[in-house]
Amino acid sequence: MATKNVLDTVAKKFIQIGLPKDLFERNRFNLLVDRNKIIVRYPAPGVRSEVIETPTGVKTKVYVEPGTKLEEPVTLCFGAAETTEVQTTEGEIVVGEGADVKFQVYGAMAEGIKLKHKNKLKVRVEKNARFEFLDLHYNGEDTFVELDTETDAYIGENAYFRSVFKQTRGRAGKVRIVLKAQVDKKGVAVFETKMIGKKDDEIYVEDVIHLNGEESRGISKSRIIAVDETKATFVGETYGNAPRCRGHIDCSEVIRGKDVTVKAVPVVVVNDETAKVTHEAAIGSIDKKQLETLMARGLTEDEAVDVIVQGMLR
Amino acid sequence: MVPILTVNDVKLTIDGRPILKGVNLVVNEGEIHAVLGPNGAGKSTLASLIMGINDLKEPDSGEIIFQDKLVNGLDITERAKLGITLAWQEPARFEGITVEEYLKLSGRNNPELDVVECLELVGLDCSYLNRFVDDTLSGGERKRVELASVLAMRPKLAVLDEPDSGIDFASMEDIANMIKTMRDRGTTVLMITHREEIAEIADRATLMCDGKVVQTGNPKDVGQKFKTMCVKCEVRNPELVGGE
Ligand SMILES: Nc1ncnc2c1ncn2[C@@H]1O[C@H](COP(=O)(O)OP(=O)(O)OP(=O)(O)O)[C@@H](O)[C@H]1O
Ligand SMILES: [Mg+2]
Repeated sequence: MATKNVLDTVAKKFIQIGLPKDLFERNRFNLLVDRNKIIVRYPAPGVRSEVIETPTGVKTKVYVEPGTKLEEPVTLCFGAAETTEVQTTEGEIVVGEGADVKFQVYGAMAEGIKLKHKNKLKVRVEKNARFEFLDLHYNGEDTFVELDTETDAYIGENAYFRSVFKQTRGRAGKVRIVLKAQVDKKGVAVFETKMIGKKDDEIYVEDVIHLNGEESRGISKSRIIAVDETKATFVGETYGNAPRCRGHIDCSEVIRGKDVTVKAVPVVVVNDETAKVTHEAAIGSIDKKQLETLMARGLTEDEAVDVIVQGMLR
Repeated sequence: MVPILTVNDVKLTIDGRPILKGVNLVVNEGEIHAVLGPNGAGKSTLASLIMGINDLKEPDSGEIIFQDKLVNGLDITERAKLGITLAWQEPARFEGITVEEYLKLSGRNNPELDVVECLELVGLDCSYLNRFVDDTLSGGERKRVELASVLAMRPKLAVLDEPDSGIDFASMEDIANMIKTMRDRGTTVLMITHREEIAEIADRATLMCDGKVVQTGNPKDVGQKFKTMCVKCEVRNPELVGGE
């Protein structure tokens, strides 16, 4: 593992793009990776893991022991402090029966760097377990990342999985996010994507939820703010395959600027007469009444837009 | 008495239909001024023109003067910076913004801002501070938060569009007291209302009908006029006067 010096350099660069300072000051990381180097590794109780460095990144295997309940989130960071051609991360997470854990994962791409990041993740949430996966992305305003990430999740009986992808500062870059879930009896899958694209960013988000078990539930929610010449596409597919399953797709994308292109494609498929899948999709500029309300309190139009957008991305 | 707001022969046509047909109104500094009138009289439209919202930046003709300054054509922020604000008949909902954040934004130029007190004055306790100003608030709660945000801002002139709508009958007195507090703290209040018990707290009142001001005077007389006139008004009830 790396020296304190290396950690300090990385900390400085990541704090600069908005990572909470506190994470470094109190050394909160259970795993911190810079490109393909493990900088910090500190196991969390009840969580067994294996991490190996590969020529372009890391491979991780995580097993949360059955019944493990953690108050504090398991905190991970996969970042790049310098430009590198590609960074590949591959992971497998199994959350054992009845466990209840939250992973807070920081993706940090330092100011001004360029890279391609490929990520593949397999998640298995066993019976009665709860797993929250918060994927928080921080990029600099002059960073350019090509991100390609795929998550495949299985949610067991009466289990809960929430995956949040958030990138609310800096540029999105060129992004392809694909999330897939197979949900068993009474299981719940919640996918949320909140991001902002600027300049010529390209965003593609695809959520696919298969509600295979009786009374399973799925929610797919996206909030994409597209500014300047951003191109963004959201595809939400929910399949209601089992009795009394419920699915909902909620996409509300905001455009700001004449040259943005935003597409939202909700697809609902139902194969059981007692299943119900609904969707709402709205693409539009910022709500005028919200804007005028804040302006009537003395905010300028730009300040008001910022407040509204940050609220939506929260 | 010093006028803080003067509306001078304001006319406005929307889609070829005259909505305001020469409105004249003077609001004096420090008063609570009620505006009464039937549905569709043009009350909210006049309020919009005063704040410059809903693409109503200026009337077709006539002047809106705030403290000797012509506000026709100014944008909303500029008017707010002069000291005007407005509380909507149906306030907007905000995703991801808490009541506390909303009140702090509203009161960011008020050095004496006390968000808890603002909430208490509208009958909400501090547990509402971390609620979101989204559709999880009930209609009445949202209206109260809107009034709290006006208190937080402490403007020179607050235009309140039906502050009492959606408020339960038992709480009417709280809202009336809150509006009086607003005035006592130096905000002139122009409030649109349909309720007599709210109009009664006003220092003066104006009755609007069919895009015109019918009468301005003390709230009791104006309220009386509203009741008697509107029942047999031919504009509203042509059948009563033998119209078709
Ligand atoms: N944007 C618009 N387009 C067309 N008509 C409009 C528009 N705005 C207002 N009006 C019309 O102008 C008239 C006055 O409306 P306004 O909302 O000002 O009435 P009000 O006095 O506030 O009524 P209420 O008591 O029902 O709130 C109404 O007949 C309304 O239909
Ligand atoms: Mg109205």
